[in-house]
Amino acid sequence: MLGEDGLQKWVFYIPVVFLCLFFVVPVALTSVWSVFERTTFWMEPGFTFFAYQNFFTSARAENYLFSMIHSAWAVLISFVLGFPIAVFVRRRVPRVAQHRVILLFILPFMISELVRVFAMRPVLGRYGIINNFLMQIGIINEPITVILFSPLGVIIGDVLSFLPFMVFAGFLSMEAVQNYIFEVCDDLGAGPVRTFRDVIVPLAAPGIFAGSVFIFVNGIGSALVPIILGGPGAVNAGLIVNQAIVALDFPLAMAISTIMIATLATLLLIGHRLFDLTKILEPIN
Amino acid sequence: MNQREFTRRALMQATAGAAALAALGRAGEAQAAEKLKLWAAGIHKVGAKDWSVMEAQAGIEIAYTTKSARADESIQKMVVGDGNKLFDAMTDNGGGMEDALASQKAIVPLDTSKIPNWKNILPAYHEGGAAAHSIRYEGKVYATPMISNADSMAYDYKKLGFHPDSWAVLFDAQFKGRAALQNDFGPTLTNMAIYLKQSGKIEIGDPSDMTPDEVKAVCQYLIDWKKKGQFRTFWDGFQNGVGILASGEVLVSSCWEPIQIIADRKTGDKADIRYGTMKEGHQVWNNILMLTKGGRARGADAAYYKLANLYLSPWFGARTLAGLGFGAQMTGVDEYINAHPKDFPPDKQKEIIDILTRKNARLAVKGNAWQNVFPKHLRAYQDWWSRLQAA
Repeated sequence: MLGEDGLQKWVFYIPVVFLCLFFVVPVALTSVWSVFERTTFWMEPGFTFFAYQNFFTSARAENYLFSMIHSAWAVLISFVLGFPIAVFVRRRVPRVAQHRVILLFILPFMISELVRVFAMRPVLGRYGIINNFLMQIGIINEPITVILFSPLGVIIGDVLSFLPFMVFAGFLSMEAVQNYIFEVCDDLGAGPVRTFRDVIVPLAAPGIFAGSVFIFVNGIGSALVPIILGGPGAVNAGLIVNQAIVALDFPLAMAISTIMIATLATLLLIGHRLFDLTKILEPIN
Repeated sequence: MNQREFTRRALMQATAGAAALAALGRAGEAQAAEKLKLWAAGIHKVGAKDWSVMEAQAGIEIAYTTKSARADESIQKMVVGDGNKLFDAMTDNGGGMEDALASQKAIVPLDTSKIPNWKNILPAYHEGGAAAHSIRYEGKVYATPMISNADSMAYDYKKLGFHPDSWAVLFDAQFKGRAALQNDFGPTLTNMAIYLKQSGKIEIGDPSDMTPDEVKAVCQYLIDWKKKGQFRTFWDGFQNGVGILASGEVLVSSCWEPIQIIADRKTGDKADIRYGTMKEGHQVWNNILMLTKGGRARGADAAYYKLANLYLSPWFGARTLAGLGFGAQMTGVDEYINAHPKDFPPDKQKEIIDILTRKNARLAVKGNAWQNVFPKHLRAYQDWWSRLQAA
């Protein structure tokens, strides 16, 4: 029988087991299946790079690249909108109320993502709230159609769906920026812009990067936004995988998934080299 | 205890007793009824929000599991998954799925003599008929048809001011940015191929089963128009299809008939959304009910045949037509509707006749082509569709 010490020792292995079961094994299987041969309805063991060749020689690679570009824009806009909110809450809201204010950003997540994204249609549409308002006050004569069923519509949808990730991550990362740092900046005569650019952002960089990864991953993987707000045939990486599965092209779906994993692993590696992601946990330590 | 209290109490007791007896009776009936584990889409039932009316009419008990229309879901579940353990019967698209599942021995052939209403089946399903292939595999009947339709184009008559009779209206410059297509290469490429073939723009052999060069030509045509900004969006999913029409985002859209019906009901007097008949033709499809290998092994044949018999009864045909506007698969629907004015009052009858008249007009167009779930050059369809999406 295991004693208390033995049990405690094994408890530390639970994350390793979890990681193996739910990450290493699925990733390994996905990679192996991606080189299998496609059959009419399934796939059979083999070794071919046809699925990868098909991905890069059809327009799928182009679609994949577009979805990365749109997601990158969503990350940038979320940073511009979300990070100042996080800084403001840390700096200006009384400490006892900070967590409650941040919790307000969880509220949208209580509503299904489908409903949240679908609710953007009557807002952004040809006869939607924004267009009606702008026409009523005489700023425009014709409805603006570029904000819905377009790449811009997808970016707006991504930002509104995933902005809280940047606020949370920014808020956590601001733990690393102690109040005395602001005082030192003031004493040295650094203006707000310089303080933000040269002091706050570098110190909070690991958290900002983590928030950016969350948004980027959702932007390229979540199929709802391009389906509901995208233009004719708008897709992202998640939808490309979905469409391959619908067409029973399982090796292709696996190949695209492998490419997605490789892309994200590369991003994380670069992020880690640049910002040392272990620093995200430093304030907690 | 006063008289009033006594009466109320006695009434409640009597009611409770009667309800208990009724419940016992129903439980007894339910125990006696055959059970069928059915994997089907919600559109395959009529009469109530759940399957209770269908159960009562068929005289069976149905354990229902919701199913989408995705081919991959059926194949994964039935060919490589545990579908045969889970389900006795399932529904799907005819014209491909019955071949796929029968070739993989996931479904079993039927004895149509055990379906009394089989005698009412539309002549198109008789051997040699236009729809015969959609329920057969290697000459044997593997499926019972339930609903069908010829997909077309919805349009807002109030805004257009005329009734379009050609797919060409999707490419009309005056509707630039106000046209939409379905975001599914199957029906969209088939309908566009029908249009391009019949209008003489592109030479195409079989719009249901195009060669890679034909697929390329159709997609390049669509890519050109997409680049010109002709399409507002490619809709995906029922609610999306309804939303773009009902909100006025698009004025013309290729879509399923129920989308037009619901969009029109939603807009009331603001718009007049109608479903056209295209002179070039339409993609014709049906949904079918199949008995799984597992279902036969468990002895679910009798329950399957009872449900199949219900699907071929004018009772079901009239209701599916009146509800979502799907085509009935049997003869005698008109007579049934006329004979049941309580269920179908005159205004409803008129509405049904309108739908039926339009449907028959669509089905009569020479250029129609059947849905093909698995065309020979499926990869060409996939690859060119991704090019269209990227364009």
